[in-house]
Amino acid sequence: MPLLLRLVAKDLRRKLRSPLALIVALAFPLVFAGMIGLAFGGGGAVPKVRLLVDDEDGALLSNAVASIFTSRQASPYFDATTVDAATGRAMMDEGKASALLTIPKGFSSDLLDGRPVTLSLLRNPAEGILPEIAEQTAGTAADLLDGARRVLDKPLADLRPYLREGSRAPGDADIVAIALAVKRSLESASSLVFPPAITLESDPKAGAKAKGGPTTSAIFLLVLPGVAVYGLFLVADQGMRDIMTERTLGTLRRQLAGPLTPGLLILGKAIYTAVLSLLSLLVIAAAGAAALRGPIDVAAFALVSLALILAVTGVAASVYGLARTERQGSTLGNMVFLAMGFLGGGFIRVESLPAVLRGVAPFTPLYWGADGYRAILEHGAGVRGVLPNVAALGSMGVVFLALGIGALHRAARRGAVA
Amino acid sequence: MFRVQGLVKSFGPVKAVDGVSFEVAKGELYGLLGPNGAGKTTTMSMMSGLLAPDEGRILFDGIDLALRPLEVKAQLGVVPQETALYETLNARENLRFWGGLYGLSGKRLEAAVDRVLDQVGLKERAKEPVKQYSGGMKRRLNLALGLVHGPRAVLMDEPTVGIDPQARLNILAAVKSVAASGTTVIYTTHYLEEVEDLCDRIGIMDHGRILAEGTLDELIRRVGGREVVTVRGGFDAEALRAKMGVLPGVQVTSSGSGKLVLSVDGSGRAAVELLGRVLAEGLPLEGVSIQPPSLNALFISLTGRELRD
Repeated sequence: MPLLLRLVAKDLRRKLRSPLALIVALAFPLVFAGMIGLAFGGGGAVPKVRLLVDDEDGALLSNAVASIFTSRQASPYFDATTVDAATGRAMMDEGKASALLTIPKGFSSDLLDGRPVTLSLLRNPAEGILPEIAEQTAGTAADLLDGARRVLDKPLADLRPYLREGSRAPGDADIVAIALAVKRSLESASSLVFPPAITLESDPKAGAKAKGGPTTSAIFLLVLPGVAVYGLFLVADQGMRDIMTERTLGTLRRQLAGPLTPGLLILGKAIYTAVLSLLSLLVIAAAGAAALRGPIDVAAFALVSLALILAVTGVAASVYGLARTERQGSTLGNMVFLAMGFLGGGFIRVESLPAVLRGVAPFTPLYWGADGYRAILEHGAGVRGVLPNVAALGSMGVVFLALGIGALHRAARRGAVA
Repeated sequence: MFRVQGLVKSFGPVKAVDGVSFEVAKGELYGLLGPNGAGKTTTMSMMSGLLAPDEGRILFDGIDLALRPLEVKAQLGVVPQETALYETLNARENLRFWGGLYGLSGKRLEAAVDRVLDQVGLKERAKEPVKQYSGGMKRRLNLALGLVHGPRAVLMDEPTVGIDPQARLNILAAVKSVAASGTTVIYTTHYLEEVEDLCDRIGIMDHGRILAEGTLDELIRRVGGREVVTVRGGFDAEALRAKMGVLPGVQVTSSGSGKLVLSVDGSGRAAVELLGRVLAEGLPLEGVSIQPPSLNALFISLTGRELRD
């Protein structure tokens, strides 16, 4: 068995006998992504806004407002119930609803007469987001009604006499006249309303997602690339840190007293680190594949993975090349990897970072690794799509590896490592 | 086999090894005796190729270690002072790895592993993880790792430090069997009895220098049958030195900080006369010791202090 192979096999056997640190490093991305997936996924069970509507007006336009929340279209988001004032208050006191919307008496007539109207919304302070949704929706409804009233001012004025209590029903001629007035009002406003300045196109996929909400596995896969790459840096840290562990054990010195050059020994440790990272990557990839719903480009995945392994090995070698002791290396490694985790989009997507930090992100290998995997998983990128990532990771890996091995080699030659 | 010539090694302002030279013949068991800090381990580190000397050179069978390090290292075994083992692996796995590093494989490797496990008495527990071993067992395995590849010469740096007497006896027995098999051994220690028991030739080291060298008999003869008398107390050693130094058969070896070391004629009369004079001075004595002619007496007469000081 070649010497290098013996060195790597020995280190892997040792790691196998004492795997706790590796298991923790491997479990971190899976547990982290899994927890986020469980918290924000939920597989279609989107919580609804439990809205109580107290329609004290009971007229045409107040009914229209209430129907915004009780309509079939709103049913995935709102569980609206019509109540009287006392029942609504009681239910709110018991925390049985997200919000209570009160439409005051005279709402319809005031709106028709152009007088200011007020809708009141009582929010449940125990809930954060759901009452906010109710408030935003009610506000939008109020704006909509106000706009409609302004556009349809003339036909509404014609309609007003028939809406009063005890008034006679409109005749056919009246209905035709009002319909024509509505048509003319809409036509006169059409230059302002049509074509719409913003067109919303519904994506069938997005629609499907919106119907059921994002699943746990979808969120898991959304989060996994960033934390997985971060986890891989932790694994590589363990690999290269072993050179310092062996120094403490005295086995490094003993090996250097044998027929080994310092260069071969350090190369052996770098290969061990790369193998350890590869095995870890396979475990994480297997977990990711279990959550995957469609095919991905395996060649692109393999390319990014190989380049990433080179990069994590290089960065870890550099950290321990700079360190003089195991503790120093461990502290430096934790600082570097954590900073990269935040800057490179390991925990928070780069798009969500402040502009200054977004500019720094591409200088970290973690960014290129996470970005490459996201491109493959989220956008179906192939080999061509991830070539920039592979090039960036590969070149960073070569540079860091050369720096790290060079520093460790110099330390070994002057006796500092042994 | 080994020729060490004028080795010098400094660490900053401290000269750890200062012109050490000695030779070790094939099959010889050579002991380097000296207190902690004498420069033994630094000398061994240079001989095993871990440290480059500032000056001097080391030849192994005529091959310069500095020029062809891998060739020399492949023929050496090293037993470091600290136990350098993989504790999560068992003894057999440790031995296989170290044997493999020196080019052994297959049946040769397995046979070598069995041989050294027998030699150090660990065969029965060879499959247990090393972390479950006692300190003495770890020491024995530490020794075995330096022997597994059948080296032509073994460098053993204080292999019995910090172990109980029984484990020490086991190690010493193993060292004797290694030497008996014709392997050259260079053995460092600060235990007088170990070099007296084990070594064919002894080099006495202190402050980075070899002060005396030879077989045990040669070294004891060098004391010249003289006894070493050490007088301690709250007195002016320099003043006493002037008075005692003139006595017949008495030589002052060293003096200072309430201690006077004298070498006296081994007949006994000189020592009696010396002690009489010391007592007559009415000095505040704390203690007087008389060392018969021995390696320790030689060390004291050479350095003015005992090995354990």
